[in-house]
Amino acid sequence: MIRRLYVHNFRCLENFELPVSGQPSVLLIGKNGSGKTTVGLALEILQKIARGTNRVGDLVKPKDLSRGRMDVPMRFEVDVELKAKVYEYVIAFELPEGFKELRILEEKLAVNGKPVYTRNGAQVHLAKAAQGQEKEASFRIDWHMVALPIVQEQSTTDPLFIFKHWLARMLILRPIPSLIVGDSNLDTLEPNLQVTDFGAWFSGLLAYSPSAYSKIDDYLKQVMPDLKDIRNPVIGTDSRSLVVQFSNDQGSITVPFADLSDGEKCFMICALVLAANVHNGPLLCFWDEPDNYLALPEVGHFVVALRQAFQSGGQFIATSHNPEAIRCFSDENTLVLYRKSHLEPTIVRPLNELQVSGDLIGALIRGDVEP
Amino acid sequence: MSTNSFLPHVLVLPEDDANRQLAIGFRLEIPFALSRKIQVLPIAGGWLRVLDCFEKDHVGAMARFPNRTMVLLIDFDGQRDRLDRAKAVIPDNLKDRVFVLGAWTDPEALKAILGSYEKIGQALAEDCREETATTWGHELLRHNAGEMERLRQQVRPILFQ
Repeated sequence: MIRRLYVHNFRCLENFELPVSGQPSVLLIGKNGSGKTTVGLALEILQKIARGTNRVGDLVKPKDLSRGRMDVPMRFEVDVELKAKVYEYVIAFELPEGFKELRILEEKLAVNGKPVYTRNGAQVHLAKAAQGQEKEASFRIDWHMVALPIVQEQSTTDPLFIFKHWLARMLILRPIPSLIVGDSNLDTLEPNLQVTDFGAWFSGLLAYSPSAYSKIDDYLKQVMPDLKDIRNPVIGTDSRSLVVQFSNDQGSITVPFADLSDGEKCFMICALVLAANVHNGPLLCFWDEPDNYLALPEVGHFVVALRQAFQSGGQFIATSHNPEAIRCFSDENTLVLYRKSHLEPTIVRPLNELQVSGDLIGALIRGDVEP
Repeated sequence: MSTNSFLPHVLVLPEDDANRQLAIGFRLEIPFALSRKIQVLPIAGGWLRVLDCFEKDHVGAMARFPNRTMVLLIDFDGQRDRLDRAKAVIPDNLKDRVFVLGAWTDPEALKAILGSYEKIGQALAEDCREETATTWGHELLRHNAGEMERLRQQVRPILFQ
């Protein structure tokens, strides 16, 4: 669970801290352009690092500096609590005069306050391992390369492995159902932002934990009572393509995954999120507008299902403009993001610190909810 | 494909945003497999509006859907006759499926003592699930005892078993 996310000099996020500590589920609301999606982009940069992208130019660009401000470093800091230990990761980028690509200014991973490694510019310093069997070490790497994906972990109990693994498995979702066809030729536990690799994620999750199917099935049969099963037959040398079978007392029908409706594909994604959090978690799931594509009576059930699932582990962060989704959260777990203009940074306040009288939805429609 | 209106289900009509949050907390505690059997409706905007909304929008629908149960969540504002006034608008043929619950004064007072609205709702659901009265027995809630007993018999099987 994220205890602290701090972002500085990245797009509209300046000296920005997301207050999500202790909250299993959080909703981000705010007007268009207030910075909700940018919070997801900040998380995506950290996720990309953990998934192996180490070239700085593939992570951030000079245009990502807030209002092009080159004299201040761009900084990302995340404190995560995993199995009663606090992992603190810091990465800062700078753009010196004459450079076209940002470079690393500072990088650090610490566990419970003890550094695993620290870095200043090109110089990386590996701390002595806790067990004492490893010596300290220093080495230099290209200042346009992030160290986290490069430093070799010793074992699956190595804090470096645990943190990197968790960060890589974060689910940052902004699905585009029309692009999701259910075909796959690989397995993955790390779906992409638009979930266009749904088929590979489905295969990967079931390969990792076959019992995850029962969780998927439980959820989907609630939302689609006529669902019989999901199959993933081989269709070529190395390819699979998902098909969904429905049946009732009138008979049965097999539907290629690609032919499901956009909303039904979102149910499928939700089912995988719920199953992944149990079988491959606990996870952080950031879902940008999970209510998109859903029928009105489904929105509340959908959001509550996600909130319920993350109560017992992991963390769910959603953004929304949908009244029905907003009504599924409370003052204590709703964060309001606000920006006075495109020239000013995002401000974030918990809803319970704002004076909102009467109906929240009405106040949002009137534009009265401002820090 | 949403809540099946022909199967047993519960609709909660909250008076205001505090009661809505309380209902959301309650809903979060319902077992996953049963969580689609409850829906929290948009707030009515006052206890009289709850009654008005119930009469206008829900009486007819309840007749159409015999497995629908409704909980009207209102503040009693310390008024002893409020339950009777609320019950007066419920047609006799629906009385066994409609429940009127709420804080004796307002949930703000409850929040000050018991924590956030969502947490209060969760605690109330836990009482229902475990058949205890730890939170329902609070001085600002214990006047609901009669309605709670009816609710326990009718709603507990829908939402907790």
